[in-house]
Amino acid sequence: MLRIREDRQAVARRVEIARVAVGAMLSLLAVAYWTIQIVRGDYYFSLSENNRIRAVKITAPRGYVLDRQGVPLVENEPAYTLHLYRREAKDLDASVAFIVDLLGLNPEAVRSRVERGRRDPEFVPIPIAENLGIEEVAAVQARAAEHPEFAITVSQRRLYKHAGAAAHALGYLSEATPEQIKNSNNVYEVGDWIGQKGVEAAYERLLAGVSGERRVIVDSHGREVAEEARLEATPGQNLFLTLDAKLQDVAEEYFKDKVGSVVALDPRTGEILALVSSPSYDPNWFTRRVTAAEWNGLLENPDRPLQNRAIQNMYSPGSVIKPFLAYGALARGLVDPEWRVFCPGHATFYGREFHCHKKGGHGSVNLRDAIKESCDVYFYTLGQKLGVDRIHEILTGFGFGTPTGVDLAFEKAGLVPSEEWARTKRGARWYPSETISVSIGQGPLLVTSMQIARGLAALLESGRLPTPHLFYSSQDPRTGAQLRYKAEFVDGPGIPPEKLAIVKNGMWAVVNEPGGTAFGSRAQGIEMGGKTGTAQVVGHDTTIKAGADKSKLDTHAWFAGFAPVSDPQIVIVVFVENGGHGNLAAAPLAKALVEARFGTGAPASAPTVPSVRAAATDHEGVARAARRETR
Amino acid sequence: MIAGTLPGGRRIDLVVLGCALGLAALGVLFVASATTGTRFQGLAARQAIWIAVGLCAMVAAILFDYRMLLKFSFAIYCACLLPLVYLLAFGARIQNVRSWIRFGQFQFQPAELAKIATALLVAYLFENEDDGRLRTSAIFKLGVIVGLPVLLVFLQPDMGLALTFLPLIFVGLYFGGLPAKGWVAIFLIVAVVAGAGWFLLKDYQKARIGTFLNPDADVLGSGYQVRQSKIAVGSGGFSGKGFRGGTQSQLRFLPVQHTDFILAVIAEEWGFLGVILVLGLFAALFLRALKLAQTARDRGGVFLVLGLTGMMFFSVVINASMMIGLAPTTGIPLPFVSYGGSSVATTFLAIGLILGVQYRRFANA
Repeated sequence: MLRIREDRQAVARRVEIARVAVGAMLSLLAVAYWTIQIVRGDYYFSLSENNRIRAVKITAPRGYVLDRQGVPLVENEPAYTLHLYRREAKDLDASVAFIVDLLGLNPEAVRSRVERGRRDPEFVPIPIAENLGIEEVAAVQARAAEHPEFAITVSQRRLYKHAGAAAHALGYLSEATPEQIKNSNNVYEVGDWIGQKGVEAAYERLLAGVSGERRVIVDSHGREVAEEARLEATPGQNLFLTLDAKLQDVAEEYFKDKVGSVVALDPRTGEILALVSSPSYDPNWFTRRVTAAEWNGLLENPDRPLQNRAIQNMYSPGSVIKPFLAYGALARGLVDPEWRVFCPGHATFYGREFHCHKKGGHGSVNLRDAIKESCDVYFYTLGQKLGVDRIHEILTGFGFGTPTGVDLAFEKAGLVPSEEWARTKRGARWYPSETISVSIGQGPLLVTSMQIARGLAALLESGRLPTPHLFYSSQDPRTGAQLRYKAEFVDGPGIPPEKLAIVKNGMWAVVNEPGGTAFGSRAQGIEMGGKTGTAQVVGHDTTIKAGADKSKLDTHAWFAGFAPVSDPQIVIVVFVENGGHGNLAAAPLAKALVEARFGTGAPASAPTVPSVRAAATDHEGVARAARRETR
Repeated sequence: MIAGTLPGGRRIDLVVLGCALGLAALGVLFVASATTGTRFQGLAARQAIWIAVGLCAMVAAILFDYRMLLKFSFAIYCACLLPLVYLLAFGARIQNVRSWIRFGQFQFQPAELAKIATALLVAYLFENEDDGRLRTSAIFKLGVIVGLPVLLVFLQPDMGLALTFLPLIFVGLYFGGLPAKGWVAIFLIVAVVAGAGWFLLKDYQKARIGTFLNPDADVLGSGYQVRQSKIAVGSGGFSGKGFRGGTQSQLRFLPVQHTDFILAVIAEEWGFLGVILVLGLFAALFLRALKLAQTARDRGGVFLVLGLTGMMFFSVVINASMMIGLAPTTGIPLPFVSYGGSSVATTFLAIGLILGVQYRRFANA
């Protein structure tokens, strides 16, 4: 018994130690919790907030694009995307098999998308198919109970209502490139759409609006439980363009089977009424994700549909340049209106013979008739009198050689040669015989259609160079408040009306007098003035490039016109690549546009056009324009 | 049978009972919070039923003479181990382990009851090991008594539950008076066995231990649990986010939050104050229970109280450490608080045995 008692004391001693140990252990635990909850509490609190709160971007609805009368050109439409939520899928392979079978998708493509998606955290849905049709959406939703792993999300997609119409003015959307994301200070994220080219690019910020944000509380599956805060998106502004859908239609129709461009603008303001570059493309391709074949088709087309010929391609202006030089010489007092040149059909300058387009010659011509009949010999002589530097001075005064400042990207400056240019830029001195070529719009002189349009506007508007633009007004879709574009001008040569009248009279005669180069394109019920041009496709390079395709060696056809002559309200520049002669290939469209603009054309009046096919096309265009008018 | 002859002044210990009831009440409260809006809703009520069952078991254990239990402890031990053998042979797997026996709506883990039986047999062993020094044969017997159920549970496989038997070995060795030399020898043996055990562990068990050593390695796997639990605990701060206001728990970032991770829910919603409350109740309970051990009438009673208290203490320390990444996630519940019928009921049974020893502390009762 005593033995046991002694042992009990030993045990009791150990229990005392154990009590201290227990107390110490629990105290240490308390200290550990103190460290995490109090010392590092803020850190863990922020982690728990990050855990539960997720910021979800609200994409602002992109503004519509409309023509000046409010005809919608670009809108948005709902687009349906199919997503796979891995967390909900019991058997991923079975899910893939199901959806492939249901929607007839490419199994390889779906599998590779799922594989790619596996790299993301499990709660991130994997996009399986875009742009589902309504029937497909219904099919997926009908099976939603059995297959909760599939969900359809709706987003807004850009819709270009008239396919390829005005594509170069409108531009297109595509996913922002890494560079664009960087340049935007990360306003754009991967996968965001951004305007590329056209007004979509030029007025991106206006159209895009400001995206909002929803702060949502999510559970551990990433499922939304509640919305904590919401910052609404500011919708993009609706953009009214200066374009007139009516004129645009007529021009598009005419260029269906031609390569070239049209610029129609209001000389008083610079408002672009029609802008066509042909061949065109359908901007909808880009929002529907282009296939490799479509993309290669676009890139490999030798006519480069993506290029805006009206501002990006430079050409020899041909005779279209003559009124500018005529006015320049008049204004500088180098010639008077009755100064005459005898044209025998050719002339020799600096030991080289130059031909007039009229083999038999025009006989004795004054300035007005030289414009009317486009007498080359007259202008050779005039050019010789002017000299290249004065020609440079005149043409740069009308804005040639510098970009017009139109609200479209990638505009070319063109080239107006001078002796200095030859010396410094070209590195080969200026030959006087080149001046002779330049005086009929050939040689190194290069212009864009847009420049001709602006130059002509300046000539008609006492020397004031309007900046061509597509922006008519913007409208806040919430308040309806409109913001009008204020026309901008660049000062040009001051033009005395009496001198202008002489040139204008020549241009009137071109269209309205027998013997004028575009007499066939008189507009009905309204007087149009203008100037034809036929630019040679010169140079060894082009010959080689053309290869077997001899049509590529045909001359380019120009027509630059305006109406009404007494008070010009529209300037039209038509350019048909390898179109032949300006009077035949280009002027008829100008006539059709003028008639459409002023509503004077009659359905019966088929313009004179070179080919039967073109005639039919153009006839339809005019007829359509007329129908619109009578409605 | 003895209840009728209760002499005055022989009252059961209210500190132990009060702490146990307080912790159990906290458990019901936070099981309710943690299961709100989930498919587990209603488990709090079930937990309350199990507490009632446990309390009945406790009262029975107080009234029944523990000396009788000690006398028949070997038979009880064998009876409790049989279901474990049965489970290994024929048991249905629930959540991948064979540790549950179904009774209609309810499931029971026989291993929980085996813990009590093993503690009884260990106490009985030391009742007779009373010559002041620990004999090698006693160490061997202790190893077999505890080792057998550990092995059976480990094979289910439920590593966490298997581990909770181990404190009995420590209790036996320490309070039995193992000399320093013996501790060194045991340490060496454990080191060797642990090395060998590494090759026997299941992959997920290894992964858990690996996760414990490097919790950031696998954010969405088992490291995810530790990370989310730490965030829950830490974000609770001093006074917590309020009852049912824990974002980590209410938005289901916490794993098995109503069972093993219930303390993280308390820590998040009641903050450091809640943790101190829980740890304080446990501290009071353990320190009081150890005091009671000293007053026991006989050596068997002493070791019974020490063994049961040791197992409980071990679970508390491991579970509380688990929440904050100081111990691997081994699936050891927090006694009284975590949801789990078997655990709660047998814990109250253990309390009943402890109180029974105290109740019969006078030699001539």
